[in-house]
Amino acid sequence: MYPSMYGNTHSYPAYRKETATRERSFIPPCQAACPLHMDIREYVDLVAQGRIMEALQVIRSGNPFPSICAYVCNHRCEDACRRSQVDKPIAIRALKRFALEFGGDRMVQVEAQTRHPEKVAIVGSGPAGMACAYYLRKLGYPAAIFEAHSELGGMLRVGIPRYRLPREVLDIEIQRLTQMGVEIRTSTRVVSLDLLFDMGYKAVFITIGAHQSLRMGIDGEESPGVVDGATFLREVNLGLKPSLGERIAVVGGGNVAIDAARTALRLGTHEVYILYRRSQAEMPADPAELEQTLQEGVRIQSLVTPTKIERQDGRLKVTCVRMELGEPDASGRRRPVPVEDSEFNEDFDTLITAIGQAPQTPGDFRVQIGRGSTIQVDPITLSTNRIGVFAGGDAVTGPATVVEALAAGRLAASRIDDYLEHRYPSVSKEEQETLVGDLLPETVEMIRKTGRLDAPLLPAEARIKEFEPIELVYDWETAVNEARRCLRCGMGAEILFQDKCATCLTCLRVCPYHVPHLDTKGTIQIPVDQCQACGVCVAECPAKAIVLRKPYDRRHVTEELDHVLKSATESKVSPLIIGFCCQYGLFGTGTLANLWRAAKAGIWIIPVLCIAKVEADHLLRAFEMGAEGVFVAGCGEQCARESTTSWVGHQVQKARKVLAEVGLEPNRLRMYVPSAADANPAEWLDRFVEQIGGLYLASVIMQEVKVDSR
Amino acid sequence: MIVAEQKPLQEIRRMISPYERVLILGCGTCMTVCDAGGEREVSFLHNALRLAQSKGGNEAHRFLEYTLKRQCESEFLETLVDKVGDVDAILSLGCGIGVQAIAERFPDTPVLPGVNTSFMGMSKEQGVWDERCAACGDCRLEDTAGICPITRCTKGILNGPCAGTKNGKCEANKDMDCAWVLIYKRLERLGQLEKMRRYYPMRNFRAIPRPKRLVRTPVGVGEDNG
Repeated sequence: MYPSMYGNTHSYPAYRKETATRERSFIPPCQAACPLHMDIREYVDLVAQGRIMEALQVIRSGNPFPSICAYVCNHRCEDACRRSQVDKPIAIRALKRFALEFGGDRMVQVEAQTRHPEKVAIVGSGPAGMACAYYLRKLGYPAAIFEAHSELGGMLRVGIPRYRLPREVLDIEIQRLTQMGVEIRTSTRVVSLDLLFDMGYKAVFITIGAHQSLRMGIDGEESPGVVDGATFLREVNLGLKPSLGERIAVVGGGNVAIDAARTALRLGTHEVYILYRRSQAEMPADPAELEQTLQEGVRIQSLVTPTKIERQDGRLKVTCVRMELGEPDASGRRRPVPVEDSEFNEDFDTLITAIGQAPQTPGDFRVQIGRGSTIQVDPITLSTNRIGVFAGGDAVTGPATVVEALAAGRLAASRIDDYLEHRYPSVSKEEQETLVGDLLPETVEMIRKTGRLDAPLLPAEARIKEFEPIELVYDWETAVNEARRCLRCGMGAEILFQDKCATCLTCLRVCPYHVPHLDTKGTIQIPVDQCQACGVCVAECPAKAIVLRKPYDRRHVTEELDHVLKSATESKVSPLIIGFCCQYGLFGTGTLANLWRAAKAGIWIIPVLCIAKVEADHLLRAFEMGAEGVFVAGCGEQCARESTTSWVGHQVQKARKVLAEVGLEPNRLRMYVPSAADANPAEWLDRFVEQIGGLYLASVIMQEVKVDSR
Repeated sequence: MIVAEQKPLQEIRRMISPYERVLILGCGTCMTVCDAGGEREVSFLHNALRLAQSKGGNEAHRFLEYTLKRQCESEFLETLVDKVGDVDAILSLGCGIGVQAIAERFPDTPVLPGVNTSFMGMSKEQGVWDERCAACGDCRLEDTAGICPITRCTKGILNGPCAGTKNGKCEANKDMDCAWVLIYKRLERLGQLEKMRRYYPMRNFRAIPRPKRLVRTPVGVGEDNG
């Protein structure tokens, strides 16, 4: 017909088949925002279905050290989450931690084989160095990590306090690196790269971090009792217990300042102040952590900056000046300006300065140093001015986040691979489009609002007594319910075959969110940035022109049904009862598993991703293949949509009519929607089984009577 | 749009009983829109027939599914040529026109109607269709404020209302609006009530030979173009 339209296949049926199996979903904003580009939508959806092991697999495939991210990631995904336009973003980091703890991440073994002779040296064992080693081993290169401190981990070990990242979590990940065959040399400071090349290493990755604290540049900064944040945290994290006194102050407003203040509290200091030169709203620290810090009793003095320190009688007399906010500076924040004659004095036992850090690269490395003492690299290849020398992490970017360092390490591994293989660095091009665009107010209005379920925290009084992790793990039900809030951005419905569409307007009329609309040319449009992927229009479309953008979502119910029918036929338990049950929510939390009584009562469950995706065809097919009874069980009040039940009701009614026409009792097909979370589906199911059992017995007797009378 | 509804399953089973291999043929235009014979209904009917067969029928049919964009055009039917050889009958879910077009194109294959073609109408809401036009060939909607008394009045009278109207409803069915009350109200709204005073002569029932045919005649070259 129109050969040019169908690409290489040249036939319309082949074109249709190929198109229908292609992944057509958009990259959601969470994934686009993640430096590691993790498939967040996928694993959140798997958690919502209670498929934790699979969620763990997805997480591990996109992140070398997910357990570390589960504790300390600054979750840009949550900042980008479109659910915040409805109520609050999905608690993605906490869900990841849940999946790791419940999915058995600690038991996961990672293996790697050496396929290349070229050895690679990694200078520094922070997240970037560890990630690079991990991926180099995966690619088959022998890798060695050189670490100046006595233990691996870089900032993860010496910077981040234990209450945020328990050391056993870090140790497990390091153990995996050892298992993979990474050579580890601790307490080894690299002073010259030439030496490494002499030792036979073919490429070097510099990831020495940014450990050097910036100086305030005021009088008395060298006095005893003044310590910089990085040094203070390093000492505490390596097991020292510096005596701070009763009343201390931390200067700065970033995450290091917060970490230092909370660490000081845990060391037994009663009065901890944070002095910050801008107002609290401008603090770069994570807002949630800032709130926890205030709960723990740290006091913030904003719009204050120290100008002079004097040591008197074993204490520090700190002269401060009050500030006010002036014009915005280059960073977009308003510049603090001193208020005249506003000086005042405060006495502290210790002053911790945490106003920023910079890398400190040995001069013998002979790499080009740029602004802020960072190493200059090509942003695409991560190569420095020296051949075979690559750099990444905080040493290149200045102080940044763990997840960015992991991403840099992963990139470095593939670039080093390119270099050693003499390949032109291939810039990976994304095949999928990224979803852009906000939800329209009309769509937001139709989305059911459910509050964010945060992971529980230890109470503040208990937290400050010790260095135990302060955030607890979700329980199963809370995690599933939180994951269900995901809007599944970019994987909604589309009219895959525009030529099939009869423009009947069914989709426009049935959509619970009023998303499909007619454009000015009279064509139906289903904007991908508004669709909530409920599947009602897919089941209702009389032309079968609409599909869900993920091939799996399209095939899912049919495939599961075939699979169950096959197993059921083999098991030969009568009467056979098939249930299409919502896999989310109530059923995702384990109820579903309880209903599965294949061996005893012949009940087989087909988990469906919302019963709106069940079509009358599926119901008839179950009967055709020998089911004596079929039921559809939704999650009731927990459903994201109020109209789901009514649309499934249409499908059930349609199938029931056919049952009557072929001489089967229509009540062999039932729909069940629990009215409250505590309703017991098992009771209802037992009654249904009894009823079907009766009908089955009657039909067997009838058949015998027929045979006898012949 | 043409509106139809699927025939009862019993009737369809009776029709197809002599044939082993049956092609269930959907139509992608009107029958899709009125939910009677689009691709989804084809698949549903297929499943229903297979279920019926598995539950005690003695028949052993084999079914094929296919949906054309429009059954009433011979060019679309050409795509069926290689399929028709493999079947004993075609069960068409097209309207009466589609069924006949198939019969004309494939003279050697029996074609069976799977739907009852009902009327020309429009969808009132999701799942509800109303008749609106009788294709009488003599449109008077100008005089009746765009409301057709031929289809919407039970009696189809041109000079209404009759004496049977009560509270704006029809005496034949108290849930049905009286078409002539609707016409009156709309004319009042348009300020054209004088049209109610006029007498409308009978429609031309003089035998218009059936079947009707419309021929578009082009202007010939060299003729006087007026």
